[in-house]
Amino acid sequence: MSAPEVHQLSLGPLTGVAFSPDRSQVAVSPNNNEAQIYSKTGDTWELKQTLAEHDKLITAISWAPQTNRIVTCSQDRNAYVWTPTESGWKPALVLLRINRAATCVKWSPNEDKFAVGSGARTIAVCSFDEENNWWVSKHVKKPLRSTVLSIDWHPNNVLLAAGAADAKAYVFSAFIKGIDAKPEPTVWGDRLPFGTICGEFSTPNGGWVHDVAFSPSGDVLAYVGHDSSVSIVYPSGPGSPPTAHISIRCPALPYLSLTFTSESQLIAAGHDCQPVVFTGSSAGWAHSYSLDDPSSGGSKGLTPTATGSRVPSGGPGRLNNEAFNLFRQADSKGVSSRSNSVSAPSSAGMAAVGQDGQLLTVHQNSITFIEPYEWNSSGEVTKVTTAGKDGRLVIWSVAGGKPGGLSGRMGGLHV
Amino acid sequence: MSEYAFRKIDIDAPRGPAGALSDAKAKSGEVRGLVSKGDIAGALNLILTDPPYGDGVDEAKNLTSSAVLLILNSTRTAEIPNHLKNLDPEQQDHLMAYLYKAMGTEGHGGDVSGSVLLTWHEKLTEVAGVGCIVRVMTDRRTL
Repeated sequence: MSAPEVHQLSLGPLTGVAFSPDRSQVAVSPNNNEAQIYSKTGDTWELKQTLAEHDKLITAISWAPQTNRIVTCSQDRNAYVWTPTESGWKPALVLLRINRAATCVKWSPNEDKFAVGSGARTIAVCSFDEENNWWVSKHVKKPLRSTVLSIDWHPNNVLLAAGAADAKAYVFSAFIKGIDAKPEPTVWGDRLPFGTICGEFSTPNGGWVHDVAFSPSGDVLAYVGHDSSVSIVYPSGPGSPPTAHISIRCPALPYLSLTFTSESQLIAAGHDCQPVVFTGSSAGWAHSYSLDDPSSGGSKGLTPTATGSRVPSGGPGRLNNEAFNLFRQADSKGVSSRSNSVSAPSSAGMAAVGQDGQLLTVHQNSITFIEPYEWNSSGEVTKVTTAGKDGRLVIWSVAGGKPGGLSGRMGGLHV
Repeated sequence: MSEYAFRKIDIDAPRGPAGALSDAKAKSGEVRGLVSKGDIAGALNLILTDPPYGDGVDEAKNLTSSAVLLILNSTRTAEIPNHLKNLDPEQQDHLMAYLYKAMGTEGHGGDVSGSVLLTWHEKLTEVAGVGCIVRVMTDRRTL
């Protein structure tokens, strides 16, 4: 367990993040129509290439770990598959046939398909057509009543989970004849022609679903909603209600992204700017600990100094004395007493703000992306990566299933 | 398609509008009794469990809202946090929804003052967090 690595890649939000298979490169979009590929040299990231083919904002990027291809999708309703050549990355247009923005994209585990969610109330499942040498898509339309906000693939390469703005999380079959072999029966179902609905789940208070994730085995589905809830579903089999459907109502602001690190642990992150670990089983789930707890006072010293406005270091001049600062704080920020210099959250779920106006967490704005970064030899996730609207890319260590975060946080503590 | 028949059941109104109304009447009567005996905790617990929810039960909703307001008005400020801590998360969400509803009708002949609502709102946010507010704002079904 060590202190998180923080990299400031942009001053604005990062809208798509994807690491290369060997983690030496990262593709991000700085909230515009370009995708930038950074390469790691020592401790810093260096801009290597810019992929400029889209006309509008890029909403998501996915990098296939084995075949080393990148797919980007954008609000211009297009997706491109980029293949590396000697002269750089070469784009190939995908025939998505959607009439609204594409919102999310993900390669399937076998990397022979990818799925694109869109505002056109459709999911385009794309596969390569050898005859015509282009990517074609098949649409899942049926029960979707609103924008698809997130997708995730089941490890069997056939099932697809989607979270939508109609406050539902769905599980579909994305079986494509000629590409997929007949899948083994799973808890989600045994006969799976394209478009079969294997599950449909709501959030407890009707919040739209921001993100969905399958557990490593694919037997458990978790999703986060805008009603500050985390829900975990254990299906029992086709046609019967799930064995367990657990919803946790959180005191904090809603989560935007989540990922499983093992069958019994998941990490969610969102508007409260810190990744939070949940643990449990089919008997029940609960909030476990935060990877970046501002009340334990550790992470502030980790923020990079290169960016943003920092506290003015007491320069010369009589206007810098304590009393003056006190009144200036009261005037500009409404801070009335000096006693709350490291203000603990005054009520449950509020982000703590330091005297300099910066958050006490590593991320200074909502976290929009979280994904596993590194696995140990037994297949457990040891590091996760997050990115957010503050333009920071952070790599966190996760103690395998145990709340052993304290020593790590103490290590980063500046006394 | 028989396996989808359960989707047609309106889970928000298991007993229909008439049943919801008679339930609401019985409950608000009971709440009045509890409040006059000074049992605020019992009254809150009763009225915030399975409140009328969804379409077509407006009359029941209004009855329940005024019963909630009666409780809010007859509680001493110092006792509020203790009562709130004894509610489960779902009841806390419902209470927050009633607070916002009352704030919305404030000044339209409502019988509750803004300061009472704001006190309850402050204490409830301290106990249940901002997540509770987000849930009320997000939910399109009303109480």
